[in-house]
Amino acid sequence: MSPVAEQSRAAVQALAERCRPCYQCGRCRSACPQGLDLADGPRAVVRLAIAQDTERLLACADVWRCSECGACTEACPMGVDVSSVLAEVRAMQRVGDGARCPERAGADLAARQLRRRPTLNSLTLGLRMAVRGFLPRGPMTAMSLGARALRAQLRRPARPLASADDLKVFYPGCALRMDREAYAASRALASGSGMRLAEPDDARCCGHPARDPAVAPPLLSGTMLTACPACERTLAAAGTPTVPVWGVLVERARRGEYQLSARSGRFVPYVGCLSDRDATLAVMAEAAELAGAEPLLAHPSLHASCCGALGGAYRGPTRGVIELVRFAAERHAPIVTPCLLCRDNVRLAARHERADVDVHFWPEFFRAAPAAALGASLAAEETA
Amino acid sequence: MTTALGAGMTGPGAGTGDVVTAEAGTRALLCECAGTMGRNLDFDVLERELAAPAVTVERRAMWCGREAKGRLVELLELGDAAGRLLLVGCSSDFAARRLQGLTDRGLRLESADIREGCSWVHGDAREAVTDKALRIAEAAIRFPARRQRRVAPRPSANRVAVVGGGVAGAQAAVELARMGHPVDLLERRPFIGGRATAIGAVFPTGDCGPCLPATAAQSGVRKCLYRNVALDHPNLRIRRRTTVQSVSGRAGDFTVKVRGLPEMVGDECIDCGLCEEACPVPGPGAQPTAIAGEVYDGRVLRSIDLDTCTFCGACAQVCPVDAIELTPAAELEELHVGAVVIATGCEPAPGHLVTHLGYGRSHVMTQVELAEKLDSWQEQSWQGRAPARHLVMIQCAGSRDQRRLPYCSRLCCMIAIKHAIRLRELFPEMRVTICFQELRTPGARDETWYLAARRAGVEFVRGSPAAVQIDGDGRPLIELEDIGAAELRRLRPDLVVLSTGLVPAEESAAVARLVGAPLDGDGFVAQLDAKNRTTETRADGVFVCGSASGPKTIAECITDAAAAAARVHDYLTSGGRQDVCPASVDAARCVGCGACVEACPFGALGLVDREAATLRPASVRPDAQVAVVDADVCRGCGICAAGCPELAITHALDDETLLSRLRMVAGGVESPVVGFTCAECAAATFNLSGQRRDRYPERVRLIELPCLGRLSALHLVEAARLGASGVFLAGCVEGRCHYQRGDTSAAEQVALARDLVTQMGRVMPIEQWHLCAVDHTGIGHRLQSFCDRVDEAQAGATARLAAAEGARGPASPAGER
Repeated sequence: MSPVAEQSRAAVQALAERCRPCYQCGRCRSACPQGLDLADGPRAVVRLAIAQDTERLLACADVWRCSECGACTEACPMGVDVSSVLAEVRAMQRVGDGARCPERAGADLAARQLRRRPTLNSLTLGLRMAVRGFLPRGPMTAMSLGARALRAQLRRPARPLASADDLKVFYPGCALRMDREAYAASRALASGSGMRLAEPDDARCCGHPARDPAVAPPLLSGTMLTACPACERTLAAAGTPTVPVWGVLVERARRGEYQLSARSGRFVPYVGCLSDRDATLAVMAEAAELAGAEPLLAHPSLHASCCGALGGAYRGPTRGVIELVRFAAERHAPIVTPCLLCRDNVRLAARHERADVDVHFWPEFFRAAPAAALGASLAAEETA
Repeated sequence: MTTALGAGMTGPGAGTGDVVTAEAGTRALLCECAGTMGRNLDFDVLERELAAPAVTVERRAMWCGREAKGRLVELLELGDAAGRLLLVGCSSDFAARRLQGLTDRGLRLESADIREGCSWVHGDAREAVTDKALRIAEAAIRFPARRQRRVAPRPSANRVAVVGGGVAGAQAAVELARMGHPVDLLERRPFIGGRATAIGAVFPTGDCGPCLPATAAQSGVRKCLYRNVALDHPNLRIRRRTTVQSVSGRAGDFTVKVRGLPEMVGDECIDCGLCEEACPVPGPGAQPTAIAGEVYDGRVLRSIDLDTCTFCGACAQVCPVDAIELTPAAELEELHVGAVVIATGCEPAPGHLVTHLGYGRSHVMTQVELAEKLDSWQEQSWQGRAPARHLVMIQCAGSRDQRRLPYCSRLCCMIAIKHAIRLRELFPEMRVTICFQELRTPGARDETWYLAARRAGVEFVRGSPAAVQIDGDGRPLIELEDIGAAELRRLRPDLVVLSTGLVPAEESAAVARLVGAPLDGDGFVAQLDAKNRTTETRADGVFVCGSASGPKTIAECITDAAAAAARVHDYLTSGGRQDVCPASVDAARCVGCGACVEACPFGALGLVDREAATLRPASVRPDAQVAVVDADVCRGCGICAAGCPELAITHALDDETLLSRLRMVAGGVESPVVGFTCAECAAATFNLSGQRRDRYPERVRLIELPCLGRLSALHLVEAARLGASGVFLAGCVEGRCHYQRGDTSAAEQVALARDLVTQMGRVMPIEQWHLCAVDHTGIGHRLQSFCDRVDEAQAGATARLAAAEGARGPASPAGER
């Protein structure tokens, strides 16, 4: 037995204890939004835990495909918290510096190859990925992943300077920086509110399993404002206190430091799987009230399951998101989400459903203006 | 259930039957057991010491030998003049077996166990072992338990009420009628036969469900319930459209008030069906009209649904024979019965448990709904059409799920297989898939059906979907992990059939509540014992059969019903319990707090108004209530006495006797270890261990109780006061107490005693063990290790005390202790 396996044995034993009621019905995988793309699935992971097969648990790559949406836990008839079992296996693997998300590995591989050659040799890539033990939906997927990673490299925006009294340290994370529009909208909202944001030099990938688990979460001093729920979770877990930037913005609006307006009179909020649902909904509802908009709350919008992102790659719409899109389309209201990953995936889902629904990232929907001058000009712009 | 507490209750000291006292003296039959105890027992000492003015000692080498049995017959013939007979020798279990012929003839023999409980389990320390044996014998001689030769009265009514006219109820009613009991079969619906009549062909026979076994006198092996031949018996009265309103009285003498709805369609009916055509009112559920016919009693019997009928009179008008009389008045009637049989059955789980599997949407139905449709689909089959191209059945729908139905309903697998085979026969082109988690087809016959289904081309997928989605076209979409292939599979059937579980029938709980029978955690009627008394309930005189106590197949229901009938017959005809000395309440001490009423597992105690003449405690108002024991219900466990805060309850083994025995047995030895054993499983365990001569230290002193429930904190504290270094309680396996709650009652008393002992400043470990006879091989080791633990605890306490005194320093005068 390897030293890592030796180390994990006690943890695996504790895990087995929790998994014992399982009778292997497979409902966890049946419910998993990633079910089709898994090699073994949560049921197999639970089986390995019961069998206390530490070696195979440490080698299991499926745990990295989990987006922590909790559908498996909810589906379990025997009350096993499958989602947390997967999280613990990830933690074990992290300790051993072992496996990581295979899709992410594939993307890295593709990026490296792209840097060396102008075109991607899919055969070589497929072979290399097969050697690493995984082939996600064939080489084509890996190729597109690689292309995306490269594009992201090219599009990295310049870091803005920070100098003001009202300076806050902001951790944008990898996704926001890759998306110029959303990034600009976020900063516009912040500056419109009179807030200045500074960014730490190394504010890149936080290391969330859905992004890049190979990255160790950075250790930062002071409270971080975050715009991405993945960053928020990962940094907080690593010991850095975080505050969602939306919370601060809404608080300032409430104090009357600036005025918040919305792009339309009603919207469908969608929290996604990573944010704390109730707290986030509360903030969004307050923002809506301040901006004079109405959030449409019903089952699809309260549902906080996965949007379909996996390892940073979109894998087709989930049931919850299809329901959400239909709900918004019927009411002719845009969907607003505090998660950038969700925004992209829900947009794709809307296209897939051929539904005429706008999907906005939070700062794309809400706008800020100085307390005195606002309203009239904005309203004029809207009507125009 | 309201019990008439006045009748049959014992007042202070009263009781039916004659109380046996030691007035005629005690005759101690000292047995040397063929010399097997001579190694460590001095019988000369025993013979000399036991003799006393009121005690005659007769010593023999072997009291169960042929010669000695002659003497026992003489003593038996002497009757009460022989005095109280006490065998000083082997355990009562062993003696009862060896002398069974004599005890059957009426020999009443008590035992003081100096063999399995003393000589055989100890070493050669002759003096110490003899002293212990002497104490065991003395305790039994000088402090006898009260005994009473009483026989509980026979149940006063020979009649039986069977609630529920499904297969189980009908079978139980027929069996009881044949045994000679007048039986009232109460059925809520207009027809007998229950669910069996609705589901068409049943397994394992593949024909229709509602037939009952024929008697020896009838031709053939079974008779049809539809044709009512099986139910034709002069003792049997079938009451259709009848519900139970209330139950009063006491076990063996119930008064059951029933409400019967009028038949409205009289015997003049010629089954023409014109009324059904004329009826303008839609009936309940899928029934087209309020008046409807069903095959029953060899004909199509019409009945009117009273809930939907508007009494418009259209049916009465068209009836050519004036058989219909629309009188809505219900009839109330009182039945006096000796026993009640609950046979209310079960019903399919409600739809809300399976909404996640698409129930309520089109293209999704339950197996029961499929069963009802299957017959009508035959027509489609002849026309070469099919209701679906691909049909998927989902097993354990809502079952074996901690948030829905946590149990397995046992029948659903076979029902699915039966339906799947039938579908493949009707529609050879249809793809039939069964998604299962674990397929349960126990026994050779059921397994044959499973094989037949695979041969018939039914597709089995091990796996279970978390949800059934309905896509944009309204077609079901199922995603599930195919466990066999370890991959996710997508199914797009035209029809989904959910194998939902079975839950207790709606009226089951109400009937059980009326008769005072508790339910189990799943809502089924709780069986008295899951292994040995499956057709009895916790309420005396109330029995259960069929699916009311858990889902059963038709074959199981019929067996169960016959078993229940035999039990009822035994209950109504046997003389009742023997040798139970009921507890009694001392009204002069009782404050009417009701603790005993709560504590009694059998409902034998109740509170009644105090008679003016009785003595009462000073603190109690004259109009306060007083507890009384129903002597016919009391089983003599003593749980009430243990829990009485005023010590107002006298048990056969009263506190004084018990404490005297304890003082006697635990005396004469340094730091005794006292063990209280129950007379059931623990006694059996210790006897077997003794017969294997598994040794343990002499300082272990055993006191036998009828049940650990008899034990109160008082007795444990007395053990501490006597200097016991440790106490153990040995009773039955957890949850299997012969008196239902004795172990939990004892556990409460132990918790209380631990506090009290600590307050006394004493260290005395108290342990409670749950034993059954298979544990007998470990008794010696168990006792030795308990003694070691006790000594360790005592040594630890002494060391702590010494350390504390040392810390107080040299100021404490030397030699103080």
